[in-house]
Order: sequence, then C-alpha cells, then structure tokens
Amino acid sequence: MSSVWLATIAASALLLAAVYPTLFPDEISMQGMLATLNNPSMIAMMGPVYGLESITPAIILAQNCLIWFAIAVIVMNIFFINRHTRADEELGRQEMLIALPIGRLTNSLSVISMSFVLNIATALLIALFTLIANIEGGNLVGALTYGLSIGMQGFLFAMLTLLSAQLFSTARTTMGVAFALMGISYILRAYGDINEDLMSYVSPIGLGLKVEAFYSNNFFPIIILFIEAFVVAAVALWINLRRDVGAGIFPARKGKAHASKFLQTPIGFTWHLLRGSFWAWAVGIFAIAASYGSVIGELDNFIMGNDAIKQMLEGTVGASTLIDAYIALLGYMIALLISIPLINCVNHFRTEEKRGRLEQIIATSVSRKAVFGSFILIAALEAVVLSLFSVLGLYATTYSSGLVTLSTLIEVTFVYLPALFLMFSLAVFLVGLLPKLRSSIWIIFGYSLIIFYFGRLFSIPEIATKLSPFGNIPQLPVQEFSVLPLIVTCIIATGLCVVGVAGIERRDM
Amino acid sequence: MSAIIQIEGLKKNFGKFVALNGVDMTVNEGEVHAFLGPNGAGKSTTIRCLLGVLRASAGEIKLFGQDAWKDAVELHKRLAYVPGDVNLWGNLTGGEVIDLFLSFRGAKYDKARREYFLQRFELDPTKKCRTYSKGNRQKVVLVSALVSDVELYVLDEPTSGLDPLLEKVFQDCVKELRNKGRSVLLSSHIMSEVEKLADRVSIIKEGKIVLNGSMNEISAKGKTLEELFLSQYKSI
Repeated sequence: MSSVWLATIAASALLLAAVYPTLFPDEISMQGMLATLNNPSMIAMMGPVYGLESITPAIILAQNCLIWFAIAVIVMNIFFINRHTRADEELGRQEMLIALPIGRLTNSLSVISMSFVLNIATALLIALFTLIANIEGGNLVGALTYGLSIGMQGFLFAMLTLLSAQLFSTARTTMGVAFALMGISYILRAYGDINEDLMSYVSPIGLGLKVEAFYSNNFFPIIILFIEAFVVAAVALWINLRRDVGAGIFPARKGKAHASKFLQTPIGFTWHLLRGSFWAWAVGIFAIAASYGSVIGELDNFIMGNDAIKQMLEGTVGASTLIDAYIALLGYMIALLISIPLINCVNHFRTEEKRGRLEQIIATSVSRKAVFGSFILIAALEAVVLSLFSVLGLYATTYSSGLVTLSTLIEVTFVYLPALFLMFSLAVFLVGLLPKLRSSIWIIFGYSLIIFYFGRLFSIPEIATKLSPFGNIPQLPVQEFSVLPLIVTCIIATGLCVVGVAGIERRDM
Repeated sequence: MSAIIQIEGLKKNFGKFVALNGVDMTVNEGEVHAFLGPNGAGKSTTIRCLLGVLRASAGEIKLFGQDAWKDAVELHKRLAYVPGDVNLWGNLTGGEVIDLFLSFRGAKYDKARREYFLQRFELDPTKKCRTYSKGNRQKVVLVSALVSDVELYVLDEPTSGLDPLLEKVFQDCVKELRNKGRSVLLSSHIMSEVEKLADRVSIIKEGKIVLNGSMNEISAKGKTLEELFLSQYKSI
C-alpha cells in the first residue's frame, strides 16, 4: 500500500513541477497569483506568502503545494503506523510475535525505522522529481528543503500515531486521535499564519512551511521537527515497555446494553454503518465549497495572466461572465466529488458481504431487498444532503460579495442530482449483478473527471462528453436549462437500480 | 414424526468447483441432529443453502415443507442461526447486536430470558464488539439465538471458541431445547459434545452424505462416534 502512495506522491510532484511554469509564464502572472494568495482566507488555507521580491515558479510551486503534499504524506503515515501497530494488536497478531524469542519493543522499533526510511524516501523522491522537471528557480538545496520538510512532517505524525497506539486500545480510536491531531495542527497553523504569531511554530504543519523552500531554504524547522519526532518516539517506547499487549492506557468506553428502536430497523442499522463517513463528507464538502467560494471576489486577480484557468473557464460553453463560468465549473466539480461517497455507500453493501456479516442478517426474516434498499436509500439521501452542504458552503463565503444569489447556487448544485443518481445506480447495478466488477465504477468516475478537466482545455467531440453521466446535465447558469436530459438520466438510473436489486435477490451472498 | 428439514440431491458449484455433489439429509421434528465432517467437506455450504444465503445449483431443500430459497424471508421467522465464523460490527455493543438480531428475526422473545442467558453465558453486553474475543463474539450470537423462541436452531460449530465451562452451559441449553420439543441442527467437530447431545448423525465427505443414522444404531455397532467418523476418512 505504501508503495502505491509513494508512486502517486512522486508522480504528482513531477507533474506539478512540470505544469507550474506553464501556468505562470511571466512575472506579471506570478505577481497576480501571489496577490490572490496574499489575503487572509487564502493564507488560512495554504500558509503565508513569501519571496515577493524575487518570485520564481519554484517558489509559487512550494507555496501552493508543500502543505498539501505534507497532508497527503501525513495521512499515509497515519495509515501505515496504525496498520502495523494497534490494528495488528487488535487482530491478535502481535501476541504471536511477542511469543517468539524477540523483545517487547521489537515491533515498535522496526516500525519506527521503517517509517523513517519511508519518509526519507518520500522526501528524496519529491526532491528528485521536482529537480527532474527542471522548474525555473529550482535548485538542489531548495528541492531538498522542500522534500525534507514534507518527509519530516510525515515522520513526526508517524511517531504521534505510534504514541496514540500506545494510549488507546482500539485501532479506530488510535487513528481518530492521530487525524484529530492533524486537524488541530492545521487549524493552529491557520490561526497562527493569519495573526502572525507563535501558533504557526507550535503546529508541525505551520513549522514545516517556515522552511520557505526555494527562497530562504531554512533547514532549522526540519531539525526541530526531527527532534520533536525523536522525543515523541521515546515517550511512545517508554509506554510500550510498561503496558500489556492488547491494552491501552485509556480503557475503551462502555457502550449501550440495548439497541435503540431505530437501530432495530434495516434502515436504522444501515444508517449506523454509514453515518460516520456520511457526516465526514458533509463537513468536507462544506469546507471545499466554502474555500472555492472565498476567492470569488478576487476572481479577476486569480485569473489575470493565467492562461490555463482562463481557457478552462472560457471552455465552459457560452460563458457570459467570468463569475457565471466559475460557478458553473464549481457546480460540476463538486458534483463529481459528491459522487465518490455515494458510490462508496453502495459498495459498502459488498464490503459487509465480503466480511461475512451479511449472511447473519440474510438468515433472519429481513429480506435482501430491505437491506440493499436501505443502502440505496441512504445514498440517495446523502446526494441531497451533500448538495445542500455544498450550497451552504458556497453561500457562506460568497453572500457578502453580492455577486451570486442563493437561488443560483441552489440551481447550479441541485441540477446535478440526476447525474448523482445515475452514478450510484451504476454502483447498484454492479454490486447487484456483477459484484466482482464493482470497482469498474471508478473507470466511469475517472472518465468523467478527465472529461471535466480536458474537455475545457482542448476541444473534444461532444459525444465524448455525453458519455459521462455528468456530461448531459445543463451547466447552469451558463447553459440553458433543459429538463429532458434530466428525465432521461433519471430513467436510466431507475432502470439500473431495478436490475441491480433484482440481481441481489437472485445471486449467492 | 414430520420432517423439519428435507434436503434431496442438493448440488452446489462455485464455477467449476463442485462443493456439494448430491446431499440428501432429513432432520425430524424434535431431534438434535449432528452434522459432522472435516473442514471443507461442505457443512457450512449445505447450511448456507439451507438458509437461502447461497442458491442451490440443483436439488431440493424444504424447510417446514416450504422452499428454502423462495420462501426464505417467511421461513426465517421460525429459525435461529449461529454461524461458525462470527463477524460482528465493531462499533456496536454486544447488547445492541443481540437486540438487532432478535428484531430482525421477527420471532417472539421474552425480555427476561435475554437477561437470563446473558448471565448464564457471563457476557457483558455493554462492550463494543471489536473488543470481544472470538469466544465472546460467539456468545453474542448464541445468546441472540437461544433467547428467540423458534422451532429450529441451526448451529454451525457454535462452541469452537468457548471454554469448557461455557461448553457445558451450551450443552445444557441444547438439552433444554430438546426437552421443549425444539429441533436442532448442530454442525460440530467435537465428538464428545455430539455423543452427549445428538439423536441422529449425518456425516458429510467431499460434498456427499456418507453416513446417516441414529446414535442408538451407532452404539449398537459397538463403535464410538469417533471411531466411526475416522473410519470414513481412513482412505484419505
């Protein structure tokens, strides 16, 4: 798994370093970009702007991307460490290892050294690929600070996860606490960066940005991050030595002795399985919509001299104004995003099935249709709720500008409901009829994503757009509203759902 | 005596692999019927077909005289199932899972019996399922099955994670069920358990029933069940 992460991260590093110079061909476009970034909401999102007087594409790259790479690498580390520590322990694998003539700390120590190697490798790969792309303003020292800042943040969070695994007795809590720490660091940094105070240094993510890669190339934050990681690792090992295998410092909470009335229904039960990701996505969609909405006032600055984005917006057929084109683009993009949890929701039925839990339900007098139907119903509900959260997010950051109305935002977002319906109905069809091929839904998703990006940059035949479930939806407020494609999309989706449910009723579990 | 379960010529293929190759088996009302066979012989597959989880490739399965696949939902009100591999939802407590299964099963049950069996099996219902050991997970499902007042109990290796004390409790429970005239299909590896509990035995080998008989017939032959079981497999 880590190798997939590594490859993806390295490929993104190369791609971004290759693309950035083309996005910012001259001084004016770079200054335009920095002007956009140099406002409180963007600083809160991506960190402080630096190097204004000697701007290069490399600085813009680091400014825009370092924090996102760091977060991706931190997430990779949390998964990696949790899998090899608490998750292993919970499954009882550690017990077998401890029974062998190896020391109590062997697992922790090997996990520490493995994650150190993993993060240094990540850092060097990012540095190497950034250099290979030969970005203007790039150099060896800059690339190394860039990569190592990311890698060392990853290593620190690996050690924090290791510590969390010593404190809490379940993999779920271990990971939850690690992700919470990441969230807190991000928020502390946002707060510190806006107010220019100490909090930016307290937060590891904030500290990591202080390297000012490709500009001052300050190595000091990297050293501090390493020392912090070292201290956290020492504490984790100290606790590890003193606790029982399988136990944590904090005991698991007591739960309810009885199920609520709602949980005792198929829909309530399914809701219980899916609600965590449901609300997480609702919050995520709100945040994304809010952050994209926040730049609407500075759209002119943002676009100025940026040919690619300009082309993308103009590619939105018949764009009347820049704002309309931007809103239409956002509607499409957010709909694509929302389709991900809907597909996951339907696919979760198969996950339950593969884990062998579903047969216990099927052996009761609850029908297959009732269980599968509950998953489908929750996917449908999620489509509506997430669209609503997207509207709320967009409206929260745009209403003060007076540039868009609430009703426009509602129309732009909710017009995609039939496409979302079609996307999860495809998943219903696959899970019901061809469960082994259920992952092929992601091919359709990927295709829609490619059409979304390249359909605007290059002229592609209309039929290619129409093949995507999203391609037939009128892009409001730019395109004219037409109800026919929406009805057709809904009919196809309903058909797929009916066939999928019929499939579930007939096949082996 | 009427037949509660009647399986005739049951075949089940997974692709080219033949899992069941003509299983014939009858379980009568009020009997404890042991279902024996080594791992991979087809015990669980037979039970899954019986429960309408898997669809039979050929043959007929009647439960209470009705088709086990077509009438599955209605039939399941009259039975309780304990799987061999118990996987539960880590985020639900044992108590919640018990209530869930009881409601989903749709059979009537007595709330006092729920407490009674929780105590009898020494199960803490407030713990999250992910913190339960294998034995405790098995207890959750066993309690939910035993609390249900149904006509048939389908138990697939229900005691593989239980300690000897609880194993004894389980045996007492099965005896009580038989005294009440309930039917039990018990798949097991534990010969001593089967000898104590079973009225009749079916032994499955490579997807076919190779022996079918009452415990009295078997003891009349002067053999223990274990000897009989092993004699079926010596040739392998």
